[in-house]
Order: sequence, then C-alpha cells, then structure tokens
Amino acid sequence: MTRYNTAKLSMAVFLASEFVFFAFLIAAYVYFYGAVVQGPRASNSLNPPRTLVFTMCLVASSATMWMAERRLRNADRREFRIWLGLTIFLGAVFVFGQATEYAGLIAKTITPARNLFGATFFTLTGFHGLHVLAGLISLSALLGLTFRKNFGAKEISGAGAIAMYWHFVDAVWVVIFCLVYASVWI
Amino acid sequence: MSGVPFPSTALDSDLPAHARSTWLEWISTVDHKRIGILYLLTTLFFFGVGGIEALLMRIQLAWPENTFLGPDTYNQIFTMHGTTMVFLVVVPLLLGLANYLTPLMIGASDMALPRLNAFSFWVFLFGGILLYFSFASGHAPSAGWFSYAPLSETGYSTRSGLDYWALALLGIGVGTIATAINLIVTIVNLRTEGLTFRRLPLFVWMVFVNSFLIIFALPALNATLAMLLVDRQLNAHFFTQLGGGSPILWQHYFWSFGHPEVYIMVLPAFGIISEVIPVFSRKPIFGYRFIAASTVGIALLSVGVWAHHMFAVGLGHAWEYAFGASSLLIAIPTGVKVFNWIATMWGGSIRFTTSMLFAIAFLFTFTIGGLSGVTFATVPIDWQVTDSYYVVAHMHYVLFGGTLFAVMAGVYYWFPKMSGRMLSESCGRIHFWLMFIGFHLTFFIQHILGLDGMPRRVYTYADHPGWAAMNMISTIGAFVIGISMLVFLANIVMSLRRGAFAGDNPWNAWTLEWATTSPPPEHNFDSVPPVRGLRPLWDLAHPGEQTP
Amino acid sequence: MKWAYSWIRSPGYVSISTVSMNLSVFNAASPQASDLLNLWNLCMWICGSVLTVVTVSIAFIIVRYRQHDDAEPKQTTGNVKLEVAWTVIPIFLVAILFVLSIRTARAVDRPVTREADIIVTGHQWWWEIVYPSVDAITANEIHVPIGRDMLVAIESADVIHDFWVPRLGRKIDAIPGMRNFVWISADKPGEYLGTCAEFCGAQHARMGFRVVAQDAAAYTAWLSGQASAAVAPTDAAARRGRSRFSELSCATCHNIRGENQQKPYAPDLTHVASRVMLAAERFANTSENLKAWLRQPDVLKPGCNMPNLKLADADVTDIAAYLETLR
Repeated sequence: MTRYNTAKLSMAVFLASEFVFFAFLIAAYVYFYGAVVQGPRASNSLNPPRTLVFTMCLVASSATMWMAERRLRNADRREFRIWLGLTIFLGAVFVFGQATEYAGLIAKTITPARNLFGATFFTLTGFHGLHVLAGLISLSALLGLTFRKNFGAKEISGAGAIAMYWHFVDAVWVVIFCLVYASVWI
Repeated sequence: MSGVPFPSTALDSDLPAHARSTWLEWISTVDHKRIGILYLLTTLFFFGVGGIEALLMRIQLAWPENTFLGPDTYNQIFTMHGTTMVFLVVVPLLLGLANYLTPLMIGASDMALPRLNAFSFWVFLFGGILLYFSFASGHAPSAGWFSYAPLSETGYSTRSGLDYWALALLGIGVGTIATAINLIVTIVNLRTEGLTFRRLPLFVWMVFVNSFLIIFALPALNATLAMLLVDRQLNAHFFTQLGGGSPILWQHYFWSFGHPEVYIMVLPAFGIISEVIPVFSRKPIFGYRFIAASTVGIALLSVGVWAHHMFAVGLGHAWEYAFGASSLLIAIPTGVKVFNWIATMWGGSIRFTTSMLFAIAFLFTFTIGGLSGVTFATVPIDWQVTDSYYVVAHMHYVLFGGTLFAVMAGVYYWFPKMSGRMLSESCGRIHFWLMFIGFHLTFFIQHILGLDGMPRRVYTYADHPGWAAMNMISTIGAFVIGISMLVFLANIVMSLRRGAFAGDNPWNAWTLEWATTSPPPEHNFDSVPPVRGLRPLWDLAHPGEQTP
Repeated sequence: MKWAYSWIRSPGYVSISTVSMNLSVFNAASPQASDLLNLWNLCMWICGSVLTVVTVSIAFIIVRYRQHDDAEPKQTTGNVKLEVAWTVIPIFLVAILFVLSIRTARAVDRPVTREADIIVTGHQWWWEIVYPSVDAITANEIHVPIGRDMLVAIESADVIHDFWVPRLGRKIDAIPGMRNFVWISADKPGEYLGTCAEFCGAQHARMGFRVVAQDAAAYTAWLSGQASAAVAPTDAAARRGRSRFSELSCATCHNIRGENQQKPYAPDLTHVASRVMLAAERFANTSENLKAWLRQPDVLKPGCNMPNLKLADADVTDIAAYLETLR
C-alpha cells in the first residue's frame, strides 16, 4: 500500500539533498565574502538591476508553472501545455540573461581564476544555472509527453514532482539574488 | 522445526525455476534482488582489489628500509586502498544488502523506484571504473583518501589522478544519494499493512536512518569535490592559501561529509547484528525502542562531531572542547547498543553458527574500536595519537572488525535466502577463525606501533627497536586474512554448486523475508503474513500468545 | 624497565619486550609529555574496565547459555532500569574524561605569552629552523636548554605538515598561511626524535628531525655557533669545493651565511657539519653518507627536490670536503 505520492516524496527527499549541496556552496560564498577587499567583487562587478529583471522572469516562471499545475488538476491538457510552454520560455530567458552576464564578466577577465569573488560567484551561480538547465530539459520532456496518447496518472504525478523541482530552483535563486546581488545594491 | 537442511545431493533443478537466469537478464534487471546481488558481487571484486593493495603495502612495510615499492607507487596504492574500501566496498556493500533485504523485510514486491535503483548501481560501477582508469592515465591519485589541500591542488599534484578521483566520487555520490532516496520512499510508502514504524525490523530501521545521513553527507561531499575541480581545472583558489583561499576549509568541508560517512559505513552493520543475534539466541532483541532511539541519536550527533578529525590543526581550545564533548557523547548511544545486544544473548539458547560467530566477534572487536575512539575524543590524547598507526588501528577495528565482521554475519545468515543453498558451516568455521586471528594479528599491534611513534601513510621506516618485529607480525596477519578470504570464496563457489537445500526458513527466524521461498520469486511474496508485532513468524508459530 | 612500569600502569596495553623507546609516548621526557601520558593511563583504566565488562559478559554467555535443547528461553524484551544504568554510567565516565581533558589541555597547551623562541617551517621534505633572537638558521635539528620552556612557532612553506616529538609533547599541524604554536621543554639532556605526522607527498616518510636538549652552557655555545657566519676553508680540496659549490648552482638553493643570501628553498648549510644526521634523519652525518647523497639524492630520497647534478667524482670529494668544514 502506497501512503504518499511516490514521485513527490522522492522529489522532496532529493530536494533535501540539493538543499545541503547549495548550502555548502552558499557557505563558501559567505565565508570568502569579506576576504576580497580589492579587485573585482560583488559591489563593483555586478549589475543588480539588470539581474533583477531576469530574476523576475524566473519568479514569473514559477507562477506560470503553478498555473499549469492547476490546469492539469482540472484535466485541461491544452491549457496545461500553454502554461508549461510559457514556463519554459521564461526559464530560457533567465538562462539567456545568465549567459550574457557571464560573457560580460569574462570579457572583463572576471573569472574563477581571478580572485575568490570570481571563484565563489561562478561556482554558486554556475551550479544553479546547471540546475535550471536540467529543469528546462525536464520541463521540455514533460511538454513532449503531453502530446502522447497515454498521458495518465503516472505522468501527472511526475509533472507534480518536476514542478516541485522547478519551484525549488527558483527559491534557491531568490536566496542567491538576495545574498549576492541585492546585498550590494541597497 | 529446527531448520535441518536437506541432503547435500540437491541439484540445481530442484531449486525454484525462477532461480535460474541469463546474463542479459542480469545486466538489464530492475529487480531489487538482482541489483542487490550485483552490488554484492561488484563490492566483493573491489574488496579483492583493495585487499591486494593492502597486501602490497604490508609487504613493503614488512621490514625497515624496504625497496619493494617506491614512495610514489606506495602513495598511489595507499590512496587507492582507502578510496576503494570506503567508496567501492563498504558503502555499496551495505546498500546492496539494504537493496536486497528492505522490500522483503517490509513485505513489498520491489523498491519504490526500480529503474532508479538500476541506475544507481551502474553509475556506481562506472565511478569505480573511472577511478581505476586513473592508473591507465599514468598516475593514480596519491594524496590520501581524503586529499588534503594544498597537496591535492595542481601545484603539488600535477597529474590528472586527482581529477579522476573527484569525478569518480561525484558519480558514486550521485548513485549513493539515489539509493538513499529510493530506500526512504520504499520504507515510508511500501510497508505492508500492520507494519508500523514501531514494528520495523531493526535492519530496516537502521537503513532508514542511514539514508537520511546519506542525504545530508553526500551532497556535502559533492559540493566539496566540485570546488576542488573548480580549483584544479579553472585555476580558482578555494583551498590554496596563495590565492587567498583556505586549506582548512577543505578539512571542514570534507569532514562534514567524512564523519557522517563513517556512521553511514556502520549503521546498517548494527542492523545486521540486531537481526542475527536474536535469531541465534532464540530470544527477541532486548531494548528495541532504545536501540532504535539511540540510532537516531547517533545520526543527529554525527553531524556535529566533524572537527574531531582536526584536533591537531590548531583551531583553538573552544573548538577542541566543543567537539571533544560531542565526540565523547556519541559513545553513549553506541554503548547502549552494545549492552542491549549482550542482554539479548543473556539467558538465551545460543546456536554457534558461523553467522553468530561473526556477530559475537563483532561485539568484542567493535567495542575495542569504539573505546579507542573514546581515547581520541579525549582531546589531549588525540594530540599524541592522531595521524599515527594508532588511528590506522582504530579505523580498521571499527570498519573491518566492526562493519565487515557484521557483513560476514549477514552473508552467512542471508546467503541461503538469496541462493536457496546453505553455505558450508565447517568451511565457514575455518573462514571465521582465520579471519578473526588474522585480523587481530594485523591490527592490534598497530595500536602499539602508533603509540611507539610510527606515523601513518609512510612508505618505509627506520630500524627503530621493535618496529621491524611489529610490522612483520602485522604483515603476516594480513596474509592470514587473505587466506581466509580465499576460504570464503571457495565456500561460496562450492555452496552455490553443491550446498544443502535451504528451504524457506533454515534458521527458524521471524522476519518477513523468511516467509517466502529461497530464493524469493520475482514478485517476492505469494502472500504476506499478517503483521501484528516485531516478529510476524514467531506470532504465527505461537497463536494465542501475546507478542512480547 | 621503564616500559614495564608503563605496562603496569596502563592496563589494556599488551607489552612487547622490544618496544622502541626512541619515539614512544610512553617514554615521556617532559612535563607536557608526562601530563599527556597520565591522561592516557587514566583513560586506559576507564576503557579497560568497560572492555573487561563486555568481554567477561560475552565469555560467560558463551559458556553458560550455549544451546542445550530445543526449548525456547524466556522471551524477555527489555528492562528500563538497565537501560538507564548503562546510559547514565557511561555519561558519568565520559564526563570524567572530558573534565580531565580540559585540565590536561590547559596544562600542555598554554597560551602564547611572548614572541616565539624558535620558528619552525615545514618544507617538502625538511624542516627549516630559525632562532630569531640571534638570527640563526639551521635545518632538521633543534636545540633547547634543559628545563626551560621554549615557545616554538610552526609554519609551512608549501603543503600541510605536522610537527611531532612524541617524547616531548603534542603534535601540531604546520599549515601554509597560518602560524601555530607549541611549547617544548625537556627534563634531561638527550636527543628526542621527531617526525612529520601529516601526509605531505612523496617523502613524507623521511621528514624526520630531532630535538637536542643540552645544559645551559652547551646550549648557549651551540646557539652562538649557529649564529656565526661560515669560516672560509684553508684546505685545498675544501677551497676547490667552495668554488664548485657556487659554480654548480648549489648556491641557488642552499644558503651558507657569509657566502650567499637566498630564500630558503633548501636547508641552510652554514653549519651542516655540526648536525647529527643528514637529509632530515635519512642517515647519519658521515663523510661516506654525505658523498653518497651528493652523488644520488634521487636514489636515496626519490622525489625529493634536490636534483641529481651527475657530479664528477672529483667534485663530490671536494664539495664534501668543503661541507665538512662548515661546523
């Protein structure tokens, strides 16, 4: 007898492990934050307003994902696809924003090798970005599945799990944004 | 019913039809039982590799100033020995047993996520191959199994061995986390009706708590390895002081994983002992609630003791007192278990099967290892004995004399269930005594070597009085262990071919895995007995009696 | 018979008659080492008692409760009083250990109250020793006056090493970018062996050193000797050796006070002939060993940073002759 939704429970436990992973990377960022007193660092290298725009896209993608889930619960597959597509689009915009931010920093030779800001910033945001990419791939796979005939209970609970993952990745970004960008903007 | 085995002329064709299978079925399987056996066979192989590495080291150390192995070769071998034993033997071995037994012990037909289960195994195997590929790349990692910075950075470890090490461990870590998720979801979701958490067999309970430890510890390792790779490949300076980084941060981060890891390597072993001792004492486990609760206590405490690996770093007395206190405290729940196991045997009717011999040997040997751990937790003593052969002795007493002895007890106990045949008890006795004597010969004397000033991780040593004799004794012991493993292998091969028929429940045990055939059918149970207590089969055999 | 005495005082320690005394924690030769040993002995009594209880119980069970028949024994499931007892008693025992560990830690690891008397820097795979008060630099051999507490600063020039003299006290890591401190003293004159105790690469096994404790007069004489510059040799072979030393790039790594002034890439050789051992306890400081080292450092200490310069025999003899004048 299955007591809880297997897909969601598995995802919850997985996200607990991801929480630990990001906690250690965040701790490294915080630990080395005060050590960089000259050269490129958060206060003089980042563009918080620009990043805020892309952050809003990512947060919006969480909202669209939530809307998509509601449609799915009402068995409205077509609407689900639309909101899911919107989620993927907004997520892709965020990744684009990250990529161009990286390009700009690297052009100014702000790299992991440059100093501890570079090391901690790229490692933390880089692994987050990889997680976003993995999320986009999963969401796209889910979108593909919706076009198949047998899209049933199993796929729906899988969708719920992926949605949890997506919300988690967004929540981690909010924390990173506040810690890395907002703290030097205000 | 005392479980007398059938005559040894039983043929393969007498086994249940589902016991025979093809190679392709094994490689493509998602059945937890097959996957469990794949883990057991693979870890047995890596144990052989790690064992050969150990024997090579012991040959080099058999007498002073030996030139059998040069320093660079020796350093690669001791690094690979440690890495292999920790990541490719002990943890996957325990998870493999957990894989095989958990669904059976909770009355389920498989794990909750069978394909993830298969994925976990193959990614573990791939990680092992990747690690050993480092030899082919020209140079295996040689900075020790915990790769302290800055020695592990590119400035001092110029070859790619460490990159293979980090990548392999990342892969293995992913597989381990996946297995932990699978075990948690399986245990939460798939318990048969009536099987509440308070009635969970202790092996399953320990596996459950252990899985949460994995969920905490392995991602910490992954983050740490990722940072090392960023240092090595992208020229960052997380752990190199020259770039503003901190070698000590490596130690904090690594041991935040590393200490829970050693409990990950022992909790399931505690579970095996908790299953074996009651059955061969013919009594229920003594103090079930206390053993279960102390397990949770150990898990919680284990995330708060990591800096006891760093008492010689110079962190300052505040750190040392705090972590000394927490490390002394963690001895308490461990002691509670040992006393409860002894109390289980007290007043019982002991059957000295090979499995029980190993369980008893575990009690004695693990206690020594645990007590030497207490000496380390007494901080000033650690200032003398850490990083010497005394700590080599301690770790082998708890991991070999502890975990591995418990695994042997489990193998002799559950082999009949897995294969349908009994292992030879006479052969088992020879294996046991050789292994027990060999183990103590090898490692007890290392306590003395350490107290005598011999540091660890040395490829040779000067001819200080007594060191040659002690090292030689240790080397002889290592070869005795090697012989015992050959006896064990012979036992397995022989018994698979000609062993006595096991039947469903050769030990007259009481947990659910004994309520089906040996080996079980693919769906595990034709029907699951009702569960109203800790020992469903005892309850069935004692109708009308209150389950104790 | 000191080893026998420590055996009696520390139960659970099975003595072997040929136990070495060179580096043994049981052969304490300083107040700190004695404090540590006393704590060890007490810990052994406590741990030994627990082990005895466990072992005797198991032995009793094996004899008394072995299977006699098929009858089922009493199916006891637990006893709360026992659980409380074997939780509370161990808590009490570890509390004792904890309190005593604080006391010993404070006695052995006293606060730093002044400038360091000696600065030790670990290198791959040798120890740089500096006496800042007289600006003396030497390698792999530390001298201390008996009965006096010397404050030693411990640093590293490359990877993490560890400074450990078991007969004199605790070990402490040498970490790049960090300065640790350890108090060293010796009760009686003698030579106390030390070793690196943190794996540091290829020649970790051969990174020994020694602490030579002397009476005050001898120590002062040694110290002023180490602080002086090298005296130019008069012997012909030694003079040839001195020229070859600079010509053959030995001087790019090795300092000889009065001759050159380099960063300490390699051990200072100003008074190399005064040392007991060579190459960080690799072998005794004899003429033969010195020549063998000059010929093939890569064979005697594979992986070490000293290159094999493939010296001609004449150079080996002359340079050795020169180095032997550096007392």
